[in-house]
Amino acid sequence: MITTQQEYSIIDKILAGDQQSYAVLVDQYKTYAFTIAFKILDSRSEAEEAAQDAFIKAFHYLKTFNRQAKFSTWLYRIVFNTAISYKRKHKHAFQSIETTVIAYSDQSDKQLERDDKQLFVGKAMDALSEADRLAIQLFYIQEFSLEEVADLLGQNVNTVKVRIHRARQRLADELTRILKQEALTL
Amino acid sequence: MKKLSQEKDDLLIRYLDGDLSAGEKEVVEKELLSAEPGRQRLEYLQSVHTYLKKRARLEMPSKNFTEKVLDGLTTVQFRSSLSYKRGLLLLLGTLLASGIALALLSAGVFDAPTTPLVVDAPIDSELFKVPTISIPFNGKLIVNGIIFLNLGLAFVLFDRTVLRPWFQKRTSMGY
Repeated sequence: MITTQQEYSIIDKILAGDQQSYAVLVDQYKTYAFTIAFKILDSRSEAEEAAQDAFIKAFHYLKTFNRQAKFSTWLYRIVFNTAISYKRKHKHAFQSIETTVIAYSDQSDKQLERDDKQLFVGKAMDALSEADRLAIQLFYIQEFSLEEVADLLGQNVNTVKVRIHRARQRLADELTRILKQEALTL
Repeated sequence: MKKLSQEKDDLLIRYLDGDLSAGEKEVVEKELLSAEPGRQRLEYLQSVHTYLKKRARLEMPSKNFTEKVLDGLTTVQFRSSLSYKRGLLLLLGTLLASGIALALLSAGVFDAPTTPLVVDAPIDSELFKVPTISIPFNGKLIVNGIIFLNLGLAFVLFDRTVLRPWFQKRTSMGY
């Protein structure tokens, strides 16, 4: 883990022409950046490409980083915007394996019912807006603070808190609707 | 099944997160969870919670992620919306068009005096007379304009395809 001061001195080095120092920052934030891109794109290869692209963009715009916010916050916003534009550009149905494959095995009925519900929550996630989906997913990952999620979405903490709360209720509503529909088709 | 009020729904989420006081918890368990709508709603909220918890993990990128980014730092600078080949072809085409126009101009093809462009009226009768329209047309002037525009375009193409990538390359190599 590097401190903010260390981060600034690395940035100074990079701006002075030491391109290799950028590797330290990439190593530090690649997992977080990749996770954000993956949560948006739901495809490992696309997320990898988008996250790399975001790091390259961040490098070229590094001199515009004004050091008023944390570098990570600034970087995550670039990752978020890059991943969103990737999604718009390569608009095809990203299908999560989690939501399409049902592996039936020797499980009890209760277990199967639970798995079905999980599958339907996956489906219900599609009903959320891009920002709500990302906010709720990142919120559950302990490594992202609520402040970071709020900064990433360009909103204040309270708004994001409410968004996450409402998104959970919306998911439960969607789950109710899907299960009702499923019951009718049986 | 009757939908729970927003207030009760909020209570259930807080119950799930363990954010309720002992008193509030008792109220939820006695009032909400003793009836089917409350129990079912909690079950669904729990499913959502479990789903999100299960997927709450950081994703690992590929092992050579950092190397790929560092490689990209140098290669991306030369990337342009106009490929080198396409840019050169366009540049040659523009120069060729300007050359042909210049050759025709110097051969005196457009030297004829101002030619009136006559548009014949489609209706001609005693009652309805439409005046003949003529637009003065100076071929030499128009061709000169086209050549000028072409040369401007050629300069932009030359800058985008040759000059800019060349200077960027020199800068990145530390000259």
